Amino acid sequence: MAEDLVLDTAIRDWVLIPLSVVMVLIGVLRYFVSKLMRSYQVPDAKIVKEGQVIVRARNLRSGANFIPPKAFRARRVYFSNEENGLLFVPKGQAQNAQAQMFSDPNMAMDMMKKNLSMIIPQTLTFAWVNFFFSGFVAAKIPFPLTQRFRSMLQNGIDLSTVDVSYVSSRSWYFLNLFGLRGLFSLILGEENAMDDTQRMMQMSGFGFDPTKSLSAEKDSLDIIQHEWALPKFEQRAEAVLRKLVS
Amino acid sequence: MAGHNESGKKKSSEAANDLQTFSAENLQNNMKVIYYSQTFLSIVGGVIAGILGFKGLAGFILYFLIMAISSVGLIAKAKFSVHSYFDCWNRIIFDGFFGGLMSFVLFWTFAYDIVHIF
Repeated sequence: MAEDLVLDTAIRDWVLIPLSVVMVLIGVLRYFVSKLMRSYQVPDAKIVKEGQVIVRARNLRSGANFIPPKAFRARRVYFSNEENGLLFVPKGQAQNAQAQMFSDPNMAMDMMKKNLSMIIPQTLTFAWVNFFFSGFVAAKIPFPLTQRFRSMLQNGIDLSTVDVSYVSSRSWYFLNLFGLRGLFSLILGEENAMDDTQRMMQMSGFGFDPTKSLSAEKDSLDIIQHEWALPKFEQRAEAVLRKLVS
Repeated sequence: MAGHNESGKKKSSEAANDLQTFSAENLQNNMKVIYYSQTFLSIVGGVIAGILGFKGLAGFILYFLIMAISSVGLIAKAKFSVHSYFDCWNRIIFDGFFGGLMSFVLFWTFAYDIVHIF
């Protein structure tokens, strides 16, 4: 290990602590701003209906073993018969729904707002850090790392002789960016963490076809093996009672 | 902080173990409680490690110790019948492990820098 650098205490007081505090506060601010900007849109009745049908079919699938075979068969036919079952989708409608999704400007607008509320504060903070604090060592991680991490931890310092465990201020910003996620989920509740995953789902779900999930649900309902659980429950009750008695 | 209330208790299926008799929402709630408590503990542990001035391996050993203690505590909270709250042991032991590691490293570094290197 190379000889220890002597760092000025002013760096701690005016860089390290303010940078971390600002990161936390900006995270909180972003949370509340995105909460304010979130627009409530009236969901389309058809889409809600399809979603509810899928939920019902899923419930039937997970609880299938608790009802008699006859009841299960009746319900399955109700959901998936080829003429008027709830999960059966006529051929022509698939295209229609997708086109409707794309033509809805509200959704694209909402997504853009969410993305902007994510990107703008990050860009601003990064510019701020770059402008004021670029080019000096701000912190030191308490464990040794290999040379490969140099570009990650000493972003903005072009010295190859400094020990790798010293962290430049710009890289401290990145460390904060990733490491504070846990803290945010604690102080802001689950909604903050949920937001990210929901955004991901919306991203991948753009131009997503609800009829596809209907037919997927239908297929999985069709192939399910029904096995009534009640006969086995006598044995289970026997076991439980035996345990109680003994 | 992070109240250890596993509110939803699921019916355990001992005789008919192949039957899935738990509710997904309660399971999710339990997982959330675990995630919160482990994140909180990893942050607190990071600050402790930083203030005590642990370096290198010692800090990670402290992290593993804290995680092990939290796992044992959660299992004790579940009255040692893990299967009535979770579907498998890995949920308690490994969940939130790496997300917690990141917070741990950050707060470890932060406290260590403030106290020791300047």
